[in-house]
Amino acid sequence: MYLHTPHSAFFQKRQLIYYRDLIRELVVRDLKLLYKRSMLGVAWTLINPLLQLAVFAFVFQSILRVNVPQYASFAFSGLLVWNWTQSSLFQATGLITSNRALIRQPGFPIAVLPIVIVITGLIHFLLALPVLLMFLVWDGASLNLNFLFLPLLLLLQSLLTIGFAYPLAALNVVFRDTQHTLGVILQLMFYLLPIFYTLEQVPDTLRGVYQLNPMVALLEAYRAILIRGVNPNGFALLMLVLVIAGLLPIGYRIFKRQSQRFVEEI
Amino acid sequence: MGMTYAIVAQAVGKRYSRYHNNRPRTMMEAALAGYRRMRPIEQFWALRQVGFAVRPGQMLGVIGHNGAGKSTLLQILSGVVCPDEGRVQVHGRMGALLDLGASFHPDLTGRENVFVSAIVSGLTHREVQQRFDQIVEFAELSAFIDNPVRTYSTGMQMRLAFAVAIHNDPDILLVDEFLSVGDVAFQSKCLTRIGELKSQGCAVVLISHNVEQMQQLCDQALWLEDGRVREYGDPNPIASQFMALMSTQNATQAFHDYSRQVEVRTVRLWDRHGHPMTEICSGDPITIELEYCAHQPMQNVIFSISISDQAGQIYFNTNTATPGLTIPLDRGNGQIKLHLDRLDLRGGSYYANAGIFAEDWSTTYDYHWHTYPFQIQWTPNEQTLLYPPRSWEIRTSDSIVNVELT
Repeated sequence: MYLHTPHSAFFQKRQLIYYRDLIRELVVRDLKLLYKRSMLGVAWTLINPLLQLAVFAFVFQSILRVNVPQYASFAFSGLLVWNWTQSSLFQATGLITSNRALIRQPGFPIAVLPIVIVITGLIHFLLALPVLLMFLVWDGASLNLNFLFLPLLLLLQSLLTIGFAYPLAALNVVFRDTQHTLGVILQLMFYLLPIFYTLEQVPDTLRGVYQLNPMVALLEAYRAILIRGVNPNGFALLMLVLVIAGLLPIGYRIFKRQSQRFVEEI
Repeated sequence: MGMTYAIVAQAVGKRYSRYHNNRPRTMMEAALAGYRRMRPIEQFWALRQVGFAVRPGQMLGVIGHNGAGKSTLLQILSGVVCPDEGRVQVHGRMGALLDLGASFHPDLTGRENVFVSAIVSGLTHREVQQRFDQIVEFAELSAFIDNPVRTYSTGMQMRLAFAVAIHNDPDILLVDEFLSVGDVAFQSKCLTRIGELKSQGCAVVLISHNVEQMQQLCDQALWLEDGRVREYGDPNPIASQFMALMSTQNATQAFHDYSRQVEVRTVRLWDRHGHPMTEICSGDPITIELEYCAHQPMQNVIFSISISDQAGQIYFNTNTATPGLTIPLDRGNGQIKLHLDRLDLRGGSYYANAGIFAEDWSTTYDYHWHTYPFQIQWTPNEQTLLYPPRSWEIRTSDSIVNVELT
């Protein structure tokens, strides 16, 4: 048994400030490294979805002639949302092997690492948001006060991603191919999500299965507030909250339990 | 358990598992191999029944051979590794000089790295800002602090890492063999800083291979052997016991490595009358005879003879190369004798040691260490190592008194 009592008198308040500072510092570090490593820096986070968008627009509008109104806004919003979750999950799964030094630091709260990864992804999302807004304006989307739901959706997506990231990171310690397997699954998931097609185009018999995927509820909610300017589906969001409420504590417990072995395994 | 101790360890044990060589490392393999291979084939205790307590302002030195469990113990104290049995209680902020500089990123500047690694080590952003100048000054890197760390030398990186680690005002400081880094001046600066922290009430746990250093610095010593506590308590007796064991082990280990082209058959000790000797008085003459056997002819060899005590401290050491002797050997046996007119060591148990070396010292043909014991008798009640012939001369206003002593 290991008991550590950091006996500062202002322990509670200081600790909250500390976690805030720690997460901010690690996020800033990741962003700085991205800036320093390439001339284009953060621009890369835009170039990738824009290129994907250009290809989708060409394939689905000029060749397959999918009839989705405001296609640029539709596909681009889907791409940004999914890229955030996809890259965060992929990175978080490998966090034990890519953060050896931090894990060996005494007293370091390893559980902040998935949070750092998701927040870094969130910042990339926010940096790309002006471009999305340009598409929305260009497509004549009905932007209105429903836009204010955006912070709520960002929070829910963050929590959902963190909830998946914890158990995956723990699993990767036992099985080193978790990250590779996950990469394949995430890539396939991209096609099984209504990113470049709409949920309505999915056959009726399969739509129910689709809606079991919490990412579908998120994608639909984002599009409701951004493109259609309507309230997100309250029931779907409530289910999403319940999924998060179940997933996050369980995932965290698994991670916490496994984290005692991290140093031995790396 | 009150707060009077900063660290309390009770019957701490850590078990490691050795797994099957082809333990599945991937899900695919696990699915094929089944659960059986996932289980460890063997378990061993890296630490067992380790207990100690360190008060604020005290320093505990941990010694032991490689693999004795010292680093595992430090990892457990730091909370990075969880003990499998027993209990560890730690009160206060933890500072650690382990893996120095590992969290530095080469592409970031010194300044950026200081912030990242100081916050990671437990300070808030504001606290780092307050200490930043101190840290940089301590590391002596003011001129380079805005350069990327990849342009730093290893020594500079270590200095910066140490400066960061030492400035988070720890209540508990864990130090793993840090003095192997940096130059001598910086090392002594680090020691001074550790001393300051200690006097401010920081509890320190130090792993050291340098037993003398541990003896100077520490209030307590913990000697680990094969993961168990061999000795725990005052550092002075533990340090000398440890050093004594080290020297005898080194000698016996090395024994088997000798090339043995020339062997030491035996060593005999003679007193002034030419009788075999096991005990002399301090100041008596002594003759040390070495009988050798050459298995092949030799151009030139060096004979070396020394006298040491049980703790391995060598008091006297001489060899045939010093007077420039050339000693060619034919195949077969022979003797060589060393006559000492006096042996002025104080009383106690000693050993005569003998070795045969190549003429350029490159090869040890044979060496007998702590094999031939003898005693020196002692009567004067004086704290001294040497007792050479001496005389007093006392001048007063009206007389001169000479007292000669033998």
